[in-house]
Amino acid sequence: MFWKTKPLWGNQPRLKSSYDVVIIGGGLHALATAYFLARDHGITDVAIIEKRFIGFGAAGRNTAIVRANQRTQYNVPLYKDALDLWPVLTKELDFNLMFNNCGNLNLMHSEAAMKAARMTIATAQFHGVESHLIDAKEAKELVPALNISEDITFPIHGAMFHPPGGIVRHDAVVWGLAKGCAKHGVHIHQQTEATAIHTEGGKVTGVTTSRGRIHARQVLVSAGGYSAGLIHQMLGIKLPISVLTIQAMVTQPLKPILDHVVSSGAYHCYANQTLKGEIATGAHMDQWPNYTTQNTAHYIKHQAESLSDWLPCLRGVKFMRIWGGLADMTPDMAPIMDGNDPIDGFYMDCGWGYFGFKSCSAVGKYMAQYMASGHCPEILKPFNLRRYENHQLMGETAALVSYTPDN
Amino acid sequence: MALTLTCPVCGKRNGYEFRYGGEDKGPRPAEEGLTPTAWCDYVHMNKCTMGVQKEWWCHRDGCGVWFTTWRDTTRNIEVEQPEANE
Ligand SMILES: Cc1cc2nc3c(=O)[nH]c(=O)nc-3n(C[C@H](O)[C@H](O)[C@H](O)COP(=O)(O)OP(=O)(O)OC[C@H]3O[C@@H](n4cnc5c(N)ncnc54)[C@H](O)[C@@H]3O)c2cc1C
Ligand SMILES: [Zn+2]
Repeated sequence: MFWKTKPLWGNQPRLKSSYDVVIIGGGLHALATAYFLARDHGITDVAIIEKRFIGFGAAGRNTAIVRANQRTQYNVPLYKDALDLWPVLTKELDFNLMFNNCGNLNLMHSEAAMKAARMTIATAQFHGVESHLIDAKEAKELVPALNISEDITFPIHGAMFHPPGGIVRHDAVVWGLAKGCAKHGVHIHQQTEATAIHTEGGKVTGVTTSRGRIHARQVLVSAGGYSAGLIHQMLGIKLPISVLTIQAMVTQPLKPILDHVVSSGAYHCYANQTLKGEIATGAHMDQWPNYTTQNTAHYIKHQAESLSDWLPCLRGVKFMRIWGGLADMTPDMAPIMDGNDPIDGFYMDCGWGYFGFKSCSAVGKYMAQYMASGHCPEILKPFNLRRYENHQLMGETAALVSYTPDN
Repeated sequence: MALTLTCPVCGKRNGYEFRYGGEDKGPRPAEEGLTPTAWCDYVHMNKCTMGVQKEWWCHRDGCGVWFTTWRDTTRNIEVEQPEANE
């Protein structure tokens, strides 16, 4: 009977007064890190501390796009690893993550953009990631609904086509990883808020939560958009992060018309058709930091205008549902993964902006390796916080990102 | 809920007329003896306050003036200057 069912991740465990590892936040990165700590390193005395419920944050609000066609040689291998892990995890977790590798199409609207895409594609190909440039006609062959005429705001010159990317069901990833964590003995504490991190002589000693104090030798903050505020509030460490609301929405269900994830930087808009037939779309952030996750008429209008420009068959289609989440943006559009600096045993994994879903599987694997050994794996080294004062920013975007109405 | 801000010249206006200029980090540090850490702190680092913070805005689509004001980032509304920060 229904009241007898229990969640895949078991009933709420007893909160112990001590764990080897405490992870603040119950999102994808927390769950993945805990899972790999247990699976690969036998570290199972782990507590995940989640203020509301797992998946409450951006984990349950993202548009589920996965791909590995990033811009720099540091980022591509990480995302490639993540992409390769979806089928593996599906099997291993014995949970259908609904990976649909339908391919991604990034529209280019100028010759300059086509040139930039050539460079990005060369990086991807160098790392063995399938990605190539196609012209507008070829793009139309892939997506017949595309408007490739000259009389739209940003005419389409071509596209970067990345066949191995696509969509993974984000809720399934949360549930599947939580199930895997619980199976290995990880404690998931929902409705439990972390309120302080304790240190002594430059070392982490524990965490205070709304349900009591916990001793721990290692603490990871992976609280998504909330991380930067929490880390400053609890430890006085400032991060190069701006937290902005990002909105997404779905239309009423339609017959199949869109077989790929299609995105456009010029329009600030992306779209794909879900298995239910809805067009899921998003891409623009609020122009100023805030923690509200509210939706705005401004944004609905923007989305309707751009979609009906490059996918004119959607004119008149109704939006059914709209929601918002937080994106923690860094100036170089790359995350911050760091540990033991300046506090021993303190780790952070944040600044993911709108890339935190596609990366979560690989990041969990490497953060677990980092925490288990105390040494930063090669692949994560470029993502340290000190790159800002050392002026070794990542170049995921051509220029530093400052969050204004112009970008 | 839409944001409104109070321009010291034009008064209360729609938030979309303004450009966000970042957290108020105090005066620009002196060039002399400036370390990369201090400069980086001024340029990149934020407190990301979940609550009331002092910040810069420009009335971009209005009179063009730069000014500071207080905003509650958890409600996205302009607020009075908190007493503790006089
Ligand atoms: C609308 C939208 C679309 C997106 N689209 C994509 C996409 O297509 N592809 C992609 O790769 N990424 C996308 N992203 C980004 C991605 O969702 C995030 O980067 C990712 O979910 C971050 O994961 P996380 O585990 O770090 O944090 P989250 O999933 O945000 O989890 C953080 C958790 O911390 C909890 N928490 C906060 N404070 C405390 C506290 N004091 N104590 C305990 N717990 C606390 C919160 O309740 C929350 O559950 C999108 C994001 C949004 C909002
Ligand atoms: Zn004015």
